[in-house]
Amino acid sequence: MVAFPRIRNFFGKLFGKKRSRVGIYGPPNAGKTTLANRIVRDVTGEAVGPVSEIPHETRRARRKEGVEINSGSTKLLIDIVDTPGVTTKIDYHEFMEYGMEQDEAIARAREATEGVAEAMHWLREDIDGVIYVLDSTQDPFMHVNIMMVGIIEARKLPVIIVANKIDLPDAAPQRIKSAFPQHPVVEISGLEGHNMDELYAKISEVFR
Amino acid sequence: MPHKCTKCGREFRDGSVEILRGCPSCGGKKFLYVSDRVKNEDVLEGKSIEKIAEETKQEVLEVKHQGPATRPTDILERVESVRIVSKGKYELNLERLAESPDIIIGMGDDGKYMLDLPSMSKRKANPKKK
Ligand SMILES: Nc1nc2c(ncn2[C@@H]2O[C@H](COP(=O)(O)OP(=O)(O)O)[C@@H](O)[C@H]2O)c(=O)[nH]1
Ligand SMILES: [Mg+2]
Repeated sequence: MVAFPRIRNFFGKLFGKKRSRVGIYGPPNAGKTTLANRIVRDVTGEAVGPVSEIPHETRRARRKEGVEINSGSTKLLIDIVDTPGVTTKIDYHEFMEYGMEQDEAIARAREATEGVAEAMHWLREDIDGVIYVLDSTQDPFMHVNIMMVGIIEARKLPVIIVANKIDLPDAAPQRIKSAFPQHPVVEISGLEGHNMDELYAKISEVFR
Repeated sequence: MPHKCTKCGREFRDGSVEILRGCPSCGGKKFLYVSDRVKNEDVLEGKSIEKIAEETKQEVLEVKHQGPATRPTDILERVESVRIVSKGKYELNLERLAESPDIIIGMGDDGKYMLDLPSMSKRKANPKKK
């Protein structure tokens, strides 16, 4: 019924395989958690974390270990790490726009800052590959994206760029392809599950 | 497809990332992706790049330098990895954070620094079990 490659939970240690740790990075609200949940839900029926229209809902990275990606004849065992959205500025006023009280908003801004710092530190040695998620309805040339892709390149980490939310009418995934022609770009809808099999194939190829 | 600066017409090869910081020749921020077929029409036929964009229905890409990058002190040249601008307002130096295990905190605009937020050092920044 579903065209996804078969994915299931699986204890890699039994097989003595090294697992790649794949970090899902990208700006806030790109759909990182939705994508992580989609991948993990197919494995365990669980979710990685709450999805929200409020930026920085994911303020602590969450992990799901031992996710087996099967694509064609290749099998790959990965740990999925969902990270807080990366930004260069965090202001508590942003949270107050979503109806939060000032104190709560300030606490949240601090947590979000710590979460981003943590996720950036992981790029140094704890992440083996990056899925960089972008919202296809947004301008890919944002400073933070250029900077992040530059950092990922400098760290020599393999990267897949995901052009997400292609289900939306104003999605322009072609812009993302034009912006980052040096990297593989996969167009998906994490929400609707469109084109996930292509993403799994790319994951098997790039993070092997 | 190569792209061209809409202001000075300079052409950039495929996958050129240098344009992301603006055109190195004229500082232009708008670029058009042009197919090889039409890429010389600006010179040969005296068309503006915008005209070519219109005819080929290609979107003109605008490179935005937002936030700290346009400030007099570029955030990349600062030493701190996180600046606390005021209560609940932070600026993060992503490159610095990705480079060094230390977190150097800058406070306000008076150039004071402090190493590490107490709550940040309590937690291990390393998810790997050693
Ligand atoms: N239309 C559409 N919305 C999406 C998609 N993926 C995520 N969203 C929505 O975008 C918002 C942010 O999603 P979330 O996964 O929390 O983003 P994150 O901040 O990157 O983790 C939520 O309202 C999601 O429902 C998608 O593929 N299509
Ligand atoms: Mg999230």
